[in-house]
Amino acid sequence: MIFVAIILSAVLTNNFITVKTYGVCPFLGVSKKTSSALGMGVAVTVVMALATAVTYPIYNYVMIAHDSAGNVLWDFRFLEIIFFIFIIASLVQMLEKIIQKLSPALYNSMGVYLPLITTNCAVLGVTELVKDNSLAQAMAKLGVTNFTMNFGWAIMYSLFAGIGFTLVMVIMSGLREKLNCYKTPKALSGFPLAMVTASFICMAFMVFSYISI
Amino acid sequence: MELLAISSKTWINLGVVAAIFAGTAIIIGLLILLVGKVFKVDVDEKVTKILENLAGANCGGCGCSGCSGFASKLACGNGNLSDCHVTSPEKKAEIAKLLGVELTDEEPTVAVVHCNGGIENCADKFEYKGNPTCAANNSLYGGNKACSYACLGCGDCKAVCPENAIEVTGRLAQVDPDRCISCGACITACPKHIISRIPASAPVFVACSSECKGKDVTGVCKVGCIACGICARSCPHGAITMVNNLPVFDYGKCTGCLTCVEKCPRHIIISRKVVAGETPKSSA
Repeated sequence: MIFVAIILSAVLTNNFITVKTYGVCPFLGVSKKTSSALGMGVAVTVVMALATAVTYPIYNYVMIAHDSAGNVLWDFRFLEIIFFIFIIASLVQMLEKIIQKLSPALYNSMGVYLPLITTNCAVLGVTELVKDNSLAQAMAKLGVTNFTMNFGWAIMYSLFAGIGFTLVMVIMSGLREKLNCYKTPKALSGFPLAMVTASFICMAFMVFSYISI
Repeated sequence: MELLAISSKTWINLGVVAAIFAGTAIIIGLLILLVGKVFKVDVDEKVTKILENLAGANCGGCGCSGCSGFASKLACGNGNLSDCHVTSPEKKAEIAKLLGVELTDEEPTVAVVHCNGGIENCADKFEYKGNPTCAANNSLYGGNKACSYACLGCGDCKAVCPENAIEVTGRLAQVDPDRCISCGACITACPKHIISRIPASAPVFVACSSECKGKDVTGVCKVGCIACGICARSCPHGAITMVNNLPVFDYGKCTGCLTCVEKCPRHIIISRKVVAGETPKSSA
C-alpha cells in the first residue's frame, strides 16, 4: 500500500515540476529536444537517488548524535541546506569522474548534464523533503495514515520523484518539438509558447491531486 | 565584540560552525582527490591537439556528433580529414602533421541550390497545407511544385544551417557564399537533392536540376533547363558537357568568360559574381 502510495505521490500527485515547481530551469531550458530532455531526466534521477542515499544517513546519524543515556551530544541539523548543497555538489563531482572512467559512452551522453545539476533545486528539494517525516501529510491525503519515513522509503521516493521529473521533461520536449513544425505568431514563437505549453501541462497534472487510494 | 553587539557565545557558535564546515570540506576534498586518483582517465593528447586545430563549428557535416567526436575518430585513424569542409587548409595541414598523414590538396567549396524556380517561375501542382517542412511536403506526391526537381522552399536547409547562410525568398532557397562553410548539412537535409558543392572560385553554376526533356520542362517551369545544349556547343574552352539533359561543368577548364551565361536562352547558367554583386538574394 505504502509502495503504491509513494509511487503515485512522487510521480503524479506531487510531481516535482508541475506541482511543486522544483527544477523549472531544466524544464524550460533543456526541453527543446527529446533526446536531451531524456538525458537530463535520467541524470537527475540518478543524482536524486544517490544524493538521498548519502544525505539521509548524514542528516539522521551524523548531524545529530546521542550518547548511551539518550542525551543529545551534538545537533547541527540547522545547517542542513548548506550542508546538503555541499555534499551533493561534491557527490556529483565524484560521480562524474567515476562514470568517465567506467563508461565513456554514458559519460558522453550524460556528461554535459551532470555538472549542470550539482545545485539543481529538484535534487536539493528531494533530499530536504525526505530527510524527516514531513511527507506524512501528503501520504495522509492519498489515504495512507501512520506513514513513517525510513531509509528505504526515502530512496524509493527520490527515485520515483526523478522518474516523475523525467516524465514531465519528455512530455514537454515532445510538445515543443511538435510545435516547432508549425507556424506560430512571431510574438509567441519560441520561449513564450514554451511557457504556455508548460502552463497547460501543469493544469493537466493538477487532475492527479484528486487521486486517493 | 561590544561594537557589533554579538555575545561571546555567538562567536563560539560561529567558530563551531566554521570548524564543522572546514572539517567537512577537508574530508570531502580528500575524498574527491582519492576518487580522482583511483578513477583517473588518460586523455589522449593527440585528441585535444586535433580539436584545437579543428574549426569548432560542430556542424556535424563529417557525420560525427561534433568536432570532438571527429577529433577522436581522427586520432584512432578511422576518420578521413577531407570529410571536414570547414577547417581551413592551414589548420588541416597542421592536423595532418600531427597524424603523420599526407594531406591531399583540395580547393575550398561552397554549397549552391541548383534551382531557380520560385513562386513566379514554377507553378504549384496543388495547394499544400500540411506540416511546413520540405520533408513532409516531399512525402506527399513528391511535393507540391509542378517540377519534380524544384526547390520546395519550406526551408529544411535553412533550419539545419549552422551559419544561417541560407535564406528562403519567394519559396526558393539561396545560399550566401560568404557565410557558407560547406559543412554539407543542407545537402543531406534537402529531400530533393538539389543542393551540391561547387568550388568557391567557380565563376558560374547551373540553377536547375531537372533531368526531364525540354518539352516537359517548358510545361512546368519558366526558367528550367531545356537541354538545348547551346552552352556546351558555344563554350570556347570545352568545359561543358551535357549529362542527363543538364549541362555539367568541368571547373578546371572553365575560365569565366561567361559565354554560356550570355547564350543560355533560359538564363539559368548564372554568373556567381552577378549573384553576389548586383542582385543579391532578390531573384524570384
